[in-house]
Amino acid sequence: MSERDRIPSTPLHVTINGRRQPVEDVPNELMMLDYLHEYRNLTGTRYGCGIGLCRACTVIVDHEDGTSEERRTCITGAHFFEGKSIRTVEGHAERDEDGEIASLSEVQQQFLEHFSFQCSYCAPGFVNAATVLVERLQREPVAREALEDTISDALEDHLCRCTGYVRYYRAVRDAVLATPGTIKEG
Amino acid sequence: MRRVLLMAGLLVAATGVARAADPGADTDRVERGRYLARAADCAACHTSEGGTPYAGGHPIETPFGTVYGTNITPDDDYGIGDYSADDFHRALTEGELPDGTQLYPAMPYTDYHGISRADSDALYAYFMSLDPVHQQSTQTDLAWPFSMRWTLNAWNWLFAPDDSDDSDESTADRGRYLVDTLGHCGACHTPRNAFGAVESDHRLEGAVIGGYEAPALTPDALAGRGWTASDLTRFLRDGRSPQGSMYSEMYPVFHHSTRYLREDDLSAMTHALLGDDPPEPTPLAAKSSTTDGQGAQLYLDNCAGCHGSDGRGVARVASAMPGNTTLRLDSPRNLVKVIHEGIEARSFGTFERVQAMPGFADDMDADQIAALATWLRQRWGGHDDTVDTAAVEDIIGASSD
Ligand code: FES
Ligand code: FES
Repeated sequence: MSERDRIPSTPLHVTINGRRQPVEDVPNELMMLDYLHEYRNLTGTRYGCGIGLCRACTVIVDHEDGTSEERRTCITGAHFFEGKSIRTVEGHAERDEDGEIASLSEVQQQFLEHFSFQCSYCAPGFVNAATVLVERLQREPVAREALEDTISDALEDHLCRCTGYVRYYRAVRDAVLATPGTIKEG
Repeated sequence: MRRVLLMAGLLVAATGVARAADPGADTDRVERGRYLARAADCAACHTSEGGTPYAGGHPIETPFGTVYGTNITPDDDYGIGDYSADDFHRALTEGELPDGTQLYPAMPYTDYHGISRADSDALYAYFMSLDPVHQQSTQTDLAWPFSMRWTLNAWNWLFAPDDSDDSDESTADRGRYLVDTLGHCGACHTPRNAFGAVESDHRLEGAVIGGYEAPALTPDALAGRGWTASDLTRFLRDGRSPQGSMYSEMYPVFHHSTRYLREDDLSAMTHALLGDDPPEPTPLAAKSSTTDGQGAQLYLDNCAGCHGSDGRGVARVASAMPGNTTLRLDSPRNLVKVIHEGIEARSFGTFERVQAMPGFADDMDADQIAALATWLRQRWGGHDDTVDTAAVEDIIGASSD
């Protein structure tokens, strides 16, 4: 391949689910979703609309100050994540020494108990968004009366074509209430 | 008493007969009024978002405070129910209410001054045909001394045009009438002086309004950004063209007004804007494509997902970048603003829409926005200058007020 045909690429350093990933040359224009699927074989992050609308492709970016945020991987280049640490839907459950799932996170468990999803296409995005919310409320608790609005504000951009959101909403509320320190007393 | 009622009944019946004599003329006039109300974009200010048409309430930001569009449905208490056609004409073209109150010049009566009496009467017939809405519009709240309406008489004396020689429909240039009078394009696209009056000797030379640039619409400026007559007509009719789609304050103009205009009127407007002998559109200067560097990588990381790494965009999702009118503007203001704030999702008719563009206020600092804007303008806007960080800070600083 001549130099001219070579796809411009740059080494990418990224931490996923607590593990530093092997550094390799990644095309400058590759979207993060494709990097997860094709380079890391992490296929749990879903490709829904590809235009930043449905949020099925949402992952969590963890900042050094302990805060975190959602990021849509279908419209964000892999190199945006250079030097960053992210969590995908594969990173929430506790695993045993053999890598088998030992226990689900509170959010995941509540989603199952409430039968929150049907086809599950949207579920990885909801797991990540709800987790960002629960962790934020641990740092910045809200009054119990404000919880309903807080949940809608945090999750309203996520689309689900099957469920009508009610069971997602109840599951997130219960996950918040089951997590100590998320609700302001008094 | 009975007799009086009976007499009244007869009078009503008589009026009914008189009206019924030529029902076609009335309907025609109301329809013409409906069309003119759209051409004059009355809804842009007199309809609040999601509110009843023409029942008032849309806030208009002026450098002196916020003015609210009033209720212009025929309600007796809060609307124009007790206006005569003369009262309406005076309010429309002179900015003066029946009780002598002077309107704030946010109402573009200096532009509407040239509206012909026949068109004013058609508009009146149309507004009077609407259902009255019994709703008070929000009261205007201006900073002193502009809160004192009497000062407006002095303002009018200084800045309002004093004759209406355009009012003869037969000799008026239809295009100019649509652009300057009904469409009042100059209300945004012509710069204003320190007193808020349009500088008529700089007609359509562009102005900054609400933090965004309302670009210059002179023939040379339009051609310099690559506009042809057919693209311009298409832009007004469809809200989109190869140069991009309408956003910010121009979208409501399309939504309430230009999409309803007849093809001959749209061509007349384009003709009025580009002149009898439109200048050749300036071709986009070919640039050596730098595909590396901070600006290029910022584009790939944040924009290419929708606009494409080649900038071609995606139909019904994101505009194409090469030759995009925002990139070709001399000033980087609008580009910086949309990167910083994003653009709402917009519908352009039944099947056409453009998805929301996220704003990057939380993701990019002024340095990064400057690098991205520079790269975009050089790659697809035909520029070779650099957007510096201080300019970006100026623009986004002003927008967060
Ligand atoms: S796939 Fe990313 S937002 Fe829909
Ligand atoms: S469960 Fe099917 S889209 Fe949400």
